[in-house]
Amino acid sequence: MAGFDATIHAPNRLRICALLDTAGEAEFGVVQEQLGVSPSVLSKHVTVLMDAGYVEQRKAVRDTRRRVWLSLTREGREAYRAHLAALRAIVGP
Amino acid sequence: METDEGTFPLSPEQARAALADTDHIRTSVSAISATPWPLWFVTAITAMLFVTPIALGGVMAEPGDWLMPQWVWLTGLLSAEAVFYALFAVAAKRWRETTGVALRFDVLPKAATLPLCVVLPVIVVGSGFVFRETGEPLWLYAASALGAALSIGFHLWFVRLHGKTA
Repeated sequence: MAGFDATIHAPNRLRICALLDTAGEAEFGVVQEQLGVSPSVLSKHVTVLMDAGYVEQRKAVRDTRRRVWLSLTREGREAYRAHLAALRAIVGP
Repeated sequence: METDEGTFPLSPEQARAALADTDHIRTSVSAISATPWPLWFVTAITAMLFVTPIALGGVMAEPGDWLMPQWVWLTGLLSAEAVFYALFAVAAKRWRETTGVALRFDVLPKAATLPLCVVLPVIVVGSGFVFRETGEPLWLYAASALGAALSIGFHLWFVRLHGKTA
């Protein structure tokens, strides 16, 4: 199936991509809260997406604490949207 | 840790469930993106929308000056714009830090963003042109009052929208 991406399709990774596609950029803590997963679980999924070149991170300091902001790369956005199109094709008209 | 095994081929029901999942996330994030501005910045927006039509009317007045020399109106207008954009930069930075998401207007309801992007500029600039043609400042006062009312109205709407969907 064209566009179907097994890396993205794993439920939490699909949620991460959906969140970042909508938000543009989101702080690690917000993604974790929205998905209801532990930091280590989220970190593992983010690493998989980063290794695939789909997600990038930016580090920023706020109130002396370091925060990580996540966003989709252009490749990640294209892959996610192609994956959504593939899912819609499976669902059918 | 999820694996990629056994994810394909999908049944239409599985695909539908995955799409519903993404819709749920999108709705949830859109609610965060609809987080209202803090009151101090809403006050700044409202003041800006109140002042701009009158100052623009002063800049566009013909023939001659209206109440003050045109250069004073222009200086005042540009100064107010500069202060407003500086405040916007501060408010946007704090908003991002508070919400944890990027500031995006394209995920907000079009019913809110279209009037803000189209109707407001038409009211502000249009009242200036009408004032120049008629010399009647009531058009400027009406545009100021309408702009301020829209600002307060949209803020209250976003407060309600955010409270309902959050």
